[in-house]
Amino acid sequence: MVGAQNRESREGDHRRGLDDVTGMRKRSAARGRLAAAALLAAGVLLLTACGGGGGGQAGGAGGGSETGGGGDVIKIGADFNLTGSVSSLDVPAFRGAQLAAEEVNAKGGVLGKKIQLISYDGKSDPATVANITTQMIENDKVVAITGFTDTDSALAAGPIAQAAGIPFLTTGATSPKLPDQVGDFMFLVPFGDNVQAAAMAEFAYKELHAKTAYLLLNNGYEYTHLLAQYFKDRFTQLAGPNSILLEDTYEASDTDYSAQIAKFKALPQKPDFLFISAYPDEVGSVVKQFREAGVTLPILGGDGYDTPLLTQVAGEKADEVYFSTHSYMDPQNGTPAIKAFMEAYKKKYGDYPENAFAAMGYDSVNLLVDAIQRANSTDPKAIRDALAQTKGFQAISGEITYPEGKRVPQKAVTIIHVVKGKLTLAKQWVPEVVPAP
Amino acid sequence: MIERWQARVRAMSLLAGLALLALALLGLQYGASTYVQRVAVDIGIMIILTVSLNLSNGYTGVFSLGHTGFMALGAYGSALLTMTPQVKALNLPDLPAWLAHVHLGFLPALVLVGLAAAAVALAVGYPILRLTGPYVAVATLGFLVIVHIVIINAQAYTRGARTFLGLAPLTNLWWVYGAVVVTIYTAWRIVNSPIGRAMLAVREDPVAARGAGVDILRARLWSFAVSAFFTAVAGALWAHFILAFSASSFWFAVTFEVIVMLIVGGLGSISGSVAATVALSILSEVLRNAERGVTLFGYHTPALYGLSQIVFALVFIAFIVYRPQGLFGDREFSLWPILARWYPPLREAVMAGRQLAE
Repeated sequence: MVGAQNRESREGDHRRGLDDVTGMRKRSAARGRLAAAALLAAGVLLLTACGGGGGGQAGGAGGGSETGGGGDVIKIGADFNLTGSVSSLDVPAFRGAQLAAEEVNAKGGVLGKKIQLISYDGKSDPATVANITTQMIENDKVVAITGFTDTDSALAAGPIAQAAGIPFLTTGATSPKLPDQVGDFMFLVPFGDNVQAAAMAEFAYKELHAKTAYLLLNNGYEYTHLLAQYFKDRFTQLAGPNSILLEDTYEASDTDYSAQIAKFKALPQKPDFLFISAYPDEVGSVVKQFREAGVTLPILGGDGYDTPLLTQVAGEKADEVYFSTHSYMDPQNGTPAIKAFMEAYKKKYGDYPENAFAAMGYDSVNLLVDAIQRANSTDPKAIRDALAQTKGFQAISGEITYPEGKRVPQKAVTIIHVVKGKLTLAKQWVPEVVPAP
Repeated sequence: MIERWQARVRAMSLLAGLALLALALLGLQYGASTYVQRVAVDIGIMIILTVSLNLSNGYTGVFSLGHTGFMALGAYGSALLTMTPQVKALNLPDLPAWLAHVHLGFLPALVLVGLAAAAVALAVGYPILRLTGPYVAVATLGFLVIVHIVIINAQAYTRGARTFLGLAPLTNLWWVYGAVVVTIYTAWRIVNSPIGRAMLAVREDPVAARGAGVDILRARLWSFAVSAFFTAVAGALWAHFILAFSASSFWFAVTFEVIVMLIVGGLGSISGSVAATVALSILSEVLRNAERGVTLFGYHTPALYGLSQIVFALVFIAFIVYRPQGLFGDREFSLWPILARWYPPLREAVMAGRQLAE
């Protein structure tokens, strides 16, 4: 029934006739080129599909038809990028969230109802992120959403939740500007970048007795920019305006850092350490390339370093790396809560948590459940108000309190030191002075 | 006599089509969830991108990989034009004063960025479009890379590679499908005009076309500029729909997505582009939802994230292998054969008309 028809059939016949005489070979050559271009395109598509590596396990089982608050389940959106460039942080976070949901349900749920996580894959793509967030709110009628470990995705999803009046609790996006950019329904589980950057600057100055720094940042992300900016603010405050010997950048798509390394090596005065504001994707290779070029100075960074990729890619070359993160995942010396969480995680997924984001995912769901409990309601507005009044919530990643009128928690920063390819706890740090967001 | 009758039927079916579209949009506006509306908007924007790319890649044989650059230009350009001075002061404090105080409506912004993109296309196309075949593809890809680098470094205007935000949600179904109608109509009129015939001739055989007196560069520039215009409009619509984007939003992923839709639809078929865009967009949306695991006949499939991209690529490979000309080849969907099958007098009339013409 497809009515595809050659409207200019005479012209078409004529063209075909010409082909028979002259154009045959040319046409098939053109087609060969087209096929080659097409195969290339297909390859790129496949690569982006596989880029994220193995995605997570089954999400909260298929959508039921009950609405969020009514019925016998409470639906919570779990908004994560399970494939694509940030999946190495989002997948553990999603697993942590699922674990928390299971535990809550095993204890009888909240307000006498079970909770159900609704999840789709954001694919590290802002358009898809916006779509799935709408889908959760409109189709699944979630009462609250938690998710994302990167600021860019949170910025794509947050305004949609804000407009719909659904609380959005970001699991790991650390921009302290987020609540102001998005609105009063946006909350952070982690500390802001200003807090972790200030902690690293103070740690370098006071513990490593460093007076000069080299600053390198990925030009491609809000997160890497903010982290570098806050670090610079605090470090120059401590060590003086000329304490940053060189500030350099690389692009998000770069895989070779030899130009930056050459500039670093040409510095007349060697700095005491390097601060590299990198994205999880390339953390391993940046560190590795600096080490292979003979740079043995300490390298400092933010929570983007807390990915298994750091030690997988750089191996023992990652030694003398210090980075800030949300909690120290240690099965031996951790607090009882951390140990219990790690064992439960291992029991469910066969391995210890990949990074602190697993704990953040776990904390996010538990904090939302706690807020629903305190609100004694599944009304999104009531949940928001309860969230805003959170005080002293005992999370795996530290105590969460939202100061009056603020939606970024005050928390201690965990500083990790890599020794012989293993992560060890260097310090828990509460910065004395925090740059304004 | 017959021609006049045909023309009248054509005009009436065009009106009927527009009325149907308006009805469908009304249905979407008042009967569908925001999610379905978003998907519909997405599809509309993809249709504009694919149809406009078809003008250059399909009809003129200028295989451009750089159109995403025009899309970026439309997105950033329109955002700078429509954002209020207050929002600009907050998000782009280093903007030069003349631009910081500009505040235009959506329509003038769309037209302006379209014209700007067309001008850029003419300037870029003048040297590039003398090349042929894969060299054009590489040169246009170079253009995309340049745009990308400029966006990343023009921090005062674009926030560099960081997320650009602060736009008002101006794009809705009506804007998008209005633009779709204008795009398709313009493309259709161009293709069926002397300049369009020149484009086809240039694609089929540049040497013969030149021999017949066709100005090759002029035909190529025309198609490149017009398609840049609509690509930029699509970029502007997308920007005011997504509201938070960055330089990496206009990179290889979207470039290849549009090319896949174009090739699956058929190079040189407007209706093919539309059909392929609608079909593939819905397919990828369905697959994305199926990724979470679905229950079919009591059996629950496991979640396989990434499945939709893989199936998408496999569909594409299958098309290239088994149907390289795409869904419609270089032909158009037409109601005539269907009408003619069900209404014999019409068939006879058409046949008579054809004989008359010959």
